[in-house]
Amino acid sequence: MRLMCLVLIFLGGCETVKPWERGTLARPEMQLDSDPLETKLREQVYQSKEAASGGNGAAGAGCGCN
Amino acid sequence: MKHKSTTVAALTGAAMSLPAFSGTQPAESTLSVSFSQYREADIPKDEVVAGSHERYDIEVGKFRLVTPLGADWSLAVDATRETMSGASPWGTLYGATGEPNLIMSGATISDSRTEVALSSTRYTDNASYTLGVARSEEDDYKATSYRIAGEWDRDNKLSTIALGFSYSSDELSPTEAVLFGRVPEASRRSRSISGSWTQVLGKNAVLQSGISLTKKDGYLDDPYKLRDVRPDERTQWAVSLRYRRFYDNRNAALHLDYRYYDDDWGIDSHTIDLSWHQNLGIGFQLVPRVRIYSQAEASFFEAADDYTLPKNQPQSSDFRLSGYGALSVGLKAIYRIPAWTVSLSVDQYRSDERFGHNKSRYEHPALLDFTLTNLGLEYRF
Repeated sequence: MRLMCLVLIFLGGCETVKPWERGTLARPEMQLDSDPLETKLREQVYQSKEAASGGNGAAGAGCGCN
Repeated sequence: MKHKSTTVAALTGAAMSLPAFSGTQPAESTLSVSFSQYREADIPKDEVVAGSHERYDIEVGKFRLVTPLGADWSLAVDATRETMSGASPWGTLYGATGEPNLIMSGATISDSRTEVALSSTRYTDNASYTLGVARSEEDDYKATSYRIAGEWDRDNKLSTIALGFSYSSDELSPTEAVLFGRVPEASRRSRSISGSWTQVLGKNAVLQSGISLTKKDGYLDDPYKLRDVRPDERTQWAVSLRYRRFYDNRNAALHLDYRYYDDDWGIDSHTIDLSWHQNLGIGFQLVPRVRIYSQAEASFFEAADDYTLPKNQPQSSDFRLSGYGALSVGLKAIYRIPAWTVSLSVDQYRSDERFGHNKSRYEHPALLDFTLTNLGLEYRF
């Protein structure tokens, strides 16, 4: 954790956040993926129309999209 | 009284917050559906020497149900139905001006795809474990995939480490194979491993860093191209960062994502996703967003198909393997009331070789412009 915080120091570093201080983090707009259906749609479009893929989780079923 | 209600609000906020970034059992069921339209812009007629200049239109319907099961489990069911029609590039050749022109298919291609995915997750105090299976079927393409993943919380749920593996086995059976001399049947496999580290940086910020490695082997050519020969193996790497920050004074959240991608076909790429989630009160939210993408061309990319090369020598004129960049801008409107969320979004995507960090010698005439419209509905119960 310390190493990661050093790397991320330009982002403000890490703080100890108590459970009762996490209300903002729980907001829908603060989720890493706030709309899974739309995210899946966009990822499929980009994967089938561009060369790059991956980076966020393991791949699902393939398709013959072209 | 005021102190008591503040305490209750704080505890409620804490209870809500715990599932935010860690593998915690959902407290309620969520049913989501979406309807989408994908429209590719036509190709200029003077760049097409044969076939249709009209490209793909796709209608997509999606369904997702996530529900808790007992005290320690959840189940997720996903289904997708797509119908597509239009034309796609078959190949390229040099035109009178010395620049590549397109040979397109006729505008008669139509197909549909159905995908169903099931996954189940078991939760313990500080971890969760997921098993999933998915099946996708089209007339000419069938794929079955399996997934296993785990998440482990650390530092009182301030950090989450995730690890996942997936395997996909795909079967191709191109249409009109005899008529056009296409491979009648072929197969390919894909294996992927991914990991991520999510770190709460403070009361208003969180960062996730991720990495994935994918290995593909088998028949990786595009069977519908006139001349398309690709290596029968591909190794792909990607690293990503996803940052979320809430600004109290603006009542809005910033999403900033970056991905670097590299593979052994000679392609590297950069992707930046930026969005601003502005709360407008009484449940409304507006989300303007921009996506910037750039890729280098594959080592065996050819601007025009070269029929003098041996048939086993890799070459492809697929625009998706050329060097170019793309800019996408979009706007999403969201309305949330306690049990429901409705959203509508429109994204306009434009690709151009000048946007690329390592562009190809010629701009590919098949580079895409498209519009993606999405209507989403979510119900929690």
